[in-house]
Amino acid sequence: MRRLEAAARRAGAWLFAPGDPRRLAALRIGLGTVLAVRLATGPYLELARQPAALFRPISFLRLLDAMPPPTVVVVLQVVAVAAAVLATAGVAARATLPLAWVAGLPLVAMTSSIGKVVHNDVLLLLVLVPLLPAPTGDTWSLAARRGRGSARPRAGSGVSPRYGWPVRTATVVVAGAYFFTGLAKLLHAGPAWVTSGNLRWVLYASSDAQAAPNQAALFVADRPWLAHLVALATLALELSFPLVLVRPRAAWVLVPGVLGLHAGIWVAMGLNYWPMAATVVLVLVDWAALADRLGRYNHFFRLKKSHRPTPDTSMSPSAPG
Amino acid sequence: MAAFLAVFVVCGVFGLEAWPLTGWRLFADARQPVQVVWQAVTVDAAGHEAPVAFGDLPAGFHGNVQVLKGFAGLAAAEQAAVCRAWADAVRARGGQVEAVRIYHTVTDVSRRVGKRGAPPARELRWTCTEAGVAPA
Repeated sequence: MRRLEAAARRAGAWLFAPGDPRRLAALRIGLGTVLAVRLATGPYLELARQPAALFRPISFLRLLDAMPPPTVVVVLQVVAVAAAVLATAGVAARATLPLAWVAGLPLVAMTSSIGKVVHNDVLLLLVLVPLLPAPTGDTWSLAARRGRGSARPRAGSGVSPRYGWPVRTATVVVAGAYFFTGLAKLLHAGPAWVTSGNLRWVLYASSDAQAAPNQAALFVADRPWLAHLVALATLALELSFPLVLVRPRAAWVLVPGVLGLHAGIWVAMGLNYWPMAATVVLVLVDWAALADRLGRYNHFFRLKKSHRPTPDTSMSPSAPG
Repeated sequence: MAAFLAVFVVCGVFGLEAWPLTGWRLFADARQPVQVVWQAVTVDAAGHEAPVAFGDLPAGFHGNVQVLKGFAGLAAAEQAAVCRAWADAVRARGGQVEAVRIYHTVTDVSRRVGKRGAPPARELRWTCTEAGVAPA
């Protein structure tokens, strides 16, 4: 019991440790941009015109007999995109980000109401949840710029627990999403997910369903050892995601790994999971630390430039003699 | 926020779907080489069959795999409405549709013919016409 209490205390201390406001702001900018792009380009109007006989609602859309009508969808889409753009810019982010999320939720639910749950935008929506009540617009925002003139926040300025917990909660969601994806494979298929021909059959079926044979899918499926290796690497990658919670440097392996995974799925199966991949990159990269590093490089180059000795033209062949 | 994290973890561990919370079942089952697939085809006035190209239809028609899987469990009127929706969509793209047939196909993807799988074994299950849906 004491161990449990101690573990809960440690988890709480980790979650509510101080954080850099710029990292939280970077999440608002990055995730807000992805949300705006997804909501602006989604096939919501097409879905609104779906015949009612094909409607297979999920969640709260079960209250309806058919997809929401086109007029409602257009209003929701305009409001959601405008709010997401404003939130990204940091204009009244505490109001505009929740508004974008709430208006966008039924639109994204529509994409999963045709028969299958589409996970593409789910991670994005869930990662945004801890940002909704957070002070995401305190820096790197138009509002902060207006309030402070053109002063830029320095590294370490304004570090506080209120900027830390939303970022760490988002990190838990990303780590959990991939870990649970791997766990579901273990629970439903067990080791056979790797040791059987599972991935070969998935890739053959996917290639056969495409208009032309998929060379990348066939390259893996035709080589059983390679299919086992790819399956093992996939499962290992997914199950090791919680490592990033205790060892943030694990992101150096996990982020390229997950980008490779999604790129491979896109090339071999034609399934585009870019919003999931982008969400992982945005959450796991420490943008504040990156900005500091780039700032140091800029400073270094500026110094180097200003201290560069004046070229000695006396030795130049074109110098007048 | 603790409640959100708790529900997120419970859904993940137990594979519960409470969208947008999810059980993260992505490719979770181990596939077998023998796979059952349902296929919908349209039939023109000359009796020629053509698979419904769901990928070319609007996004609202892209749940065909799941709709076909659940077709047997639908009431006759619902089955007719589904067939009518598909036939109308094909007609709207210039196709001629006198009937929609639904086949139960069994494919062994491990049997390869060149770069493609061997042709599946096909069995007609339903025919939808203006008169209604007739089981085979």
